[in-house]
Amino acid sequence: MRKRRILLVDDEASITRALAMYLTENGDCEVCVENKGSRALAAARSFKPDLIFLDIVMPDGDGGALAAEVQADPVLKGTPIVFLTALVSRRETGGTTMTIGGYPFLAKPVHPETVLASIAEHARERV
Amino acid sequence: MAATVAASILWPEALIDQEVLAGGLALIPALLLAHYRGWPIVTLLLGVGLVALVFMHLSPLFLGVSLRGPFLILFVLAPYISIALGAGWFGEVRRYQAELRATQLQLIQSEKLDSVGRMAAGVAHEVKNPLMMILTGVKVLAKRVPAADEQTRLLLQDMEEAVERADRIIGGLLNYARDRDLDLSFADVNDTIERSAMLVKHDLENAHITLVAKLQPGLPKLQLDEFKMQQVFVNLVTNAIHAIERDGEVSITTSLEKLTRRDLTGFRSTDRFTPGERVVIIRIEDSGPGIPEEHLKKVFDPFFSTKPTGRGTGLGLSVSQQIVDMHGGAIDVGNREHGGARVTITLKVDRKGAPS
Repeated sequence: MRKRRILLVDDEASITRALAMYLTENGDCEVCVENKGSRALAAARSFKPDLIFLDIVMPDGDGGALAAEVQADPVLKGTPIVFLTALVSRRETGGTTMTIGGYPFLAKPVHPETVLASIAEHARERV
Repeated sequence: MAATVAASILWPEALIDQEVLAGGLALIPALLLAHYRGWPIVTLLLGVGLVALVFMHLSPLFLGVSLRGPFLILFVLAPYISIALGAGWFGEVRRYQAELRATQLQLIQSEKLDSVGRMAAGVAHEVKNPLMMILTGVKVLAKRVPAADEQTRLLLQDMEEAVERADRIIGGLLNYARDRDLDLSFADVNDTIERSAMLVKHDLENAHITLVAKLQPGLPKLQLDEFKMQQVFVNLVTNAIHAIERDGEVSITTSLEKLTRRDLTGFRSTDRFTPGERVVIIRIEDSGPGIPEEHLKKVFDPFFSTKPTGRGTGLGLSVSQQIVDMHGGAIDVGNREHGGARVTITLKVDRKGAPS
């Protein structure tokens, strides 16, 4: 089984850098990082991820709109998306899986182990 | 003087709002009465004795001026009768003024809370991203540090706990900023208290503190957001535990009472209650050292805390006040006569649609 391809879209470069490092070193993942919301769709088309972690509030792109574009894209349609957001707190999620617009989300600051568990749960499997 | 008398007769209520004028008036008859040598000739009481006309003989010594013969003075006796009776009109004026001041303070507090809430939500959002970076970085490093390097591992563990603590504070801030809606249903406040007690049972046992609950049975059901009220009781008992530190007692009593005018004077939300209204009163008392007088006015201020760093966010009482306010109730903090603090929560008994 090949490595899971994970696309991290977040305007905070320090977060994507640290998370990419963790996932690469501790998970069986190949990680692509995009810090510009406006370039995320192009990055996804080119990388063809098995799962996209998507920030909701970005200066040059709205995560919700981007998710809709991904699902409307003939190549990317069906790609699992998990939102990473600071808009809700972990306490509000009550430790359960909650969704925004039908997509699961993780509340920042999220433990990287939880990100790994989320990959195991949601990423598309490719043989 | 004549103008004052005329104004007092025409617009007696004007005196209510003119403390200085009323105070000034109080001085004049005090001086007159001190040199009283004559006798009242006519006393004409209007209504409930608000205005009286009095003829008085003025001593030549008065004002240091030699006056020959009786001097006729007309003045309003109203405030002085009230003073003499030790109650009534003047007392009412003072009470209204106290209520006005309390309402103004409440408005200021409410404005302050709103702006703090807005600021908190903004700050919380901005802080979460750097926290996530730090947490992820710590985890990356923790995986790289050899198991034998115990000191570095401990350091990283402390860093992770620090992030967790900051996240909890931010969660509290967001909670504070957002929780503006209530999920109301009719509930027995005694049940809510008992459920809250279960949540603090562990902390009470650890600190060797006894919780004594004297809950009046058969209280009318109240419209409550049980979850939020539970948060209030947990906050208050936790504060009591922190105040006592070790070995002591926390008591919670509930009772159905009828409010009197005297009860209302101390409230921060006087406009919400009327004398004779039935209310449920919850008192939470502790055997701790009590609250210093200079802190009493600040206890509801957001971020005011006397607890050591990391133990309290300074939001517990502020959030509790917000929740009680949202329920249309009142919360007051003071000290017991024989030591220890007392928090009093007053909740309205709403009979509309209440189950029996």
